[in-house]
Amino acid sequence: MKKYNITVNGTAYEVEVEEVGGTPVITSSAPAPAVAHVAPTSAPAAPAPAPATPVASSTPSAGAVEVESPMPGTILNVLVSQGQAVSDGDVLLILEAMKMENEIVAPQAGIVDAILVEKGATVNPGDVLISIK
Amino acid sequence: MATRKLEELRSRKRKVLDAGGEKRIKAQHDAGKLTARERLDVLFDEGSFVELDVFVHHRSSNFDMAEKHAPGDGVVTGYGTIDGRLVYAYSQDFTVLGGSLGEYHANKIVKVQEMALKVGAPIVGLNDSGGARIQEGVPSLSGFGKIFKNNTISSGVIPQISVIMGPCAGGAVYSPAITDFVFMVDKTSQMFITGPQVIKAVTGEEITAEELGGAKTHNTVSGVAHFMGKDDEDTLAQVKELLSYLPANNLETAPSVPTADDINRLIPEFDDIIPENPNKAYDVIKIIEKIADDGRHFDVAPHYAKNIITTYIRLGGNTVGVVANQPSVSAGSLDINASDKAARFVRRCDAFNIPLLVLEDVPGFLPGTDQESGGIIRHGAKLLYAFCEATVPKVTMVLRKAYGGAYIAMCNKELGADLVYAWPSAEIAVMGAAGAANIVFKNDIKNAADPISMREAKIAEYEDKFNNPYEAAALGYVEDVIEPRTTRQRLISAFDMLESKRESLPDKKHGNIPL
Repeated sequence: MKKYNITVNGTAYEVEVEEVGGTPVITSSAPAPAVAHVAPTSAPAAPAPAPATPVASSTPSAGAVEVESPMPGTILNVLVSQGQAVSDGDVLLILEAMKMENEIVAPQAGIVDAILVEKGATVNPGDVLISIK
Repeated sequence: MATRKLEELRSRKRKVLDAGGEKRIKAQHDAGKLTARERLDVLFDEGSFVELDVFVHHRSSNFDMAEKHAPGDGVVTGYGTIDGRLVYAYSQDFTVLGGSLGEYHANKIVKVQEMALKVGAPIVGLNDSGGARIQEGVPSLSGFGKIFKNNTISSGVIPQISVIMGPCAGGAVYSPAITDFVFMVDKTSQMFITGPQVIKAVTGEEITAEELGGAKTHNTVSGVAHFMGKDDEDTLAQVKELLSYLPANNLETAPSVPTADDINRLIPEFDDIIPENPNKAYDVIKIIEKIADDGRHFDVAPHYAKNIITTYIRLGGNTVGVVANQPSVSAGSLDINASDKAARFVRRCDAFNIPLLVLEDVPGFLPGTDQESGGIIRHGAKLLYAFCEATVPKVTMVLRKAYGGAYIAMCNKELGADLVYAWPSAEIAVMGAAGAANIVFKNDIKNAADPISMREAKIAEYEDKFNNPYEAAALGYVEDVIEPRTTRQRLISAFDMLESKRESLPDKKHGNIPL
């Protein structure tokens, strides 16, 4: 259980948040954990021209290349949408981990097959984030 | 009479040079591979290779071995020059009994290993073999044992390079594994202890030889191999380039290569190469290229543990080994694989008198249960051990983050850095400001009327104090904070000053590095 003091329109509220799983080391030391925890949508605004709210969709098709998370962290932004063509090295999403905005890039050219995470999701190493075929 | 004897010699030599015969040579070429002798021709300066044990032949009469003619017993050994420098080599001949290793095949390799050690020159092993020669039985295993022992005794005395250019399976893999550098040719080489058929029989898993032990697998996943070439010629060209960065043995220094690149060259791009936002990554290879003579670097294990870069460059003509955190991969954090990769590199450099440059931007060790249960404590310890033990000149340049235990692990002052420099963007602290403020000012924040602004104020206070190089510099942990544009000039001056450095460790059999 974590306690946060949150001020909304000048009024202070004490909020208790129970963590279920997750990675407390990363999240508690993120730049604005209090805000990020309660309302993930107000996490630091991503500057990139994100396509209209990509949503986690479907499962990878057989034979698609799976892009895994290299580290435990939080998805800060998803920069591609399903069906989009990408080149080798294109940035697919931003993973915030180790206080860094890590660019997760396409390991090869192809079409975005499935997006398995949403903005704000907490991921662990080895979790499949996106698949490309 | 004399003519007859000469003719006999020529005819006997021709038989050896014919190797496994036209058909097998054609099969070798059709597989996209050069023959054992063609490879030596590519590797050595033209006409310089001198062959040894030309007429050696097996003496086995087991099964049908008595009738089997095996020119050179399936391996070509000898010495020659590469860029004018003496190098020994052996090259297994797949066209002769599948390059299988029998008693005399092994004896030839053992002999050339011992000559290389005695003379103090590098040895390159070109591997292309079906493995132990089963017909000969235990003597072939004995042969492997002798080769491993020589590899080990020569380790740290002469550079040993293994090039896998075909199959290398079973016990055979352990000779390359003991040597300093392993090259593999993409698609035509494989290394594994047990092959796909055995795996299928034992566990039922189906996997191709390429997936199991191909060049990509060993360069990216297992870390067994350190370099990958697209074909035989490309791979051998890389071997030559590597040799140019290495000395002949542990008593010499690497050859100096004259350069037209000005030692006082300023690098104005460095003023804004580090992003303003500390959460943003950049490619440290761009920094290495700007520092190095003529922008050249030769990366060791470039496809493995990419969060750390280990590479050879020259500064003012002299070889320097660079260990650099790569912020654009896994935030540049240290994990198990990065620690192993860097520790091995540091020890290679130290063994062969190659000075070390550390470019540091490390947020810490990577947190995670897989890291802890995988033994990051034990693996990370190797990196600290390797830096502590290294007596070559060591210069650490802090580019940005230098936090906590990772700051120490990346060769800080106490681990023996002869000089520590920092860029003004350096942040040398126990941890990042946000996390630190939460702990140090816990009560201040909790009891404040407006905890959020108090927290921000305290983060700023911590940043002011520690997110800079000056606190560390004030205590002498950093020799100087430098203008980034002067980096090349300062490093060349530093290594020049340290050239005559002599540091010795207490006498001992050997240390006990936590393997």
